[in-house]
Amino acid sequence: MTLFLKVKHLLFLSSIGILAWLIPGGGHLALNEKKHAIIIFVTIVLTFCAGLYIGSIAVIDPVHSKPWYVAQIMNSPAVAALGRISAEGDYTVYGRPAEIGQIYTSIAGLLNLLCIVNAVYWAHLRKMGIEVDYNVDSN
Amino acid sequence: MSIVTNLIVASFTVPERIAVNPQSMLLLLPLVASITIVYKTTKMPKIKFVSFVKEVVILFGSIIVFMAATAMVLGALAWLITE
Repeated sequence: MTLFLKVKHLLFLSSIGILAWLIPGGGHLALNEKKHAIIIFVTIVLTFCAGLYIGSIAVIDPVHSKPWYVAQIMNSPAVAALGRISAEGDYTVYGRPAEIGQIYTSIAGLLNLLCIVNAVYWAHLRKMGIEVDYNVDSN
Repeated sequence: MSIVTNLIVASFTVPERIAVNPQSMLLLLPLVASITIVYKTTKMPKIKFVSFVKEVVILFGSIIVFMAATAMVLGALAWLITE
C-alpha cells in the first residue's frame, strides 16, 4: 500500500470515528448499517437521558468529577456544552441520585466508545476487502 | 418558552428522589438492558429481529442470574461473618 493510500485509509477511518462520536450510531450509518445505527442511537440516547433525568444535569461536572466526565464526554461533544451549563448554573446533586445519574451517563459514554471502535473496525475490514463472518458465534 | 418545554427542562435540572432500599436495586435492570442491546448490536453483523431479541434476552438473563448468584454468595458471607 502506498503512502497516499495509507493516509487516505487513515483519514477514512478517522472520519468514521469522529462521526460515531458526534452522533451515537453515526459511524454505522456512514457504513450504511441503518439498523445498527438506529438501535445504537436510541439505546445510548435513552440511557444518557435516563441518567440526566435521575441525577439532573449536575451529574455532568467537569470540575469536581473529572473521571466521570471523561466517560460522559464519549457520548458526544454536546456533553461539553451541558457541562458548561452545569458549571455555570446553580445545579447540585448529592447521594444516590448523583451516583446513579453518573453511572447511567458514564456507561452510556463507554457504550458509545465501544460503538466508535466497532464502526472503525468494520470500516477497516471493508476497506481491506474482508467480509465480517456472519457464521461466527456472536458471543 | 411554553409550559411543556419548561416542564421538560425542569425535569432535567432537579434530581429525582431515590430511597436507599432494596427496591432501588431495580434501577440496574435498564442499565443491563442497554449494555446488552448495544453489545449485541456490535457483535451481530446482520440484525434479524427474532435472533437479535433472542440473543439479547439470553445475555440479559445470564447477567441477571450471575449478579443474583454473586449477591447471594456475598450476602451469605456477610451473614456468616457478622452472626
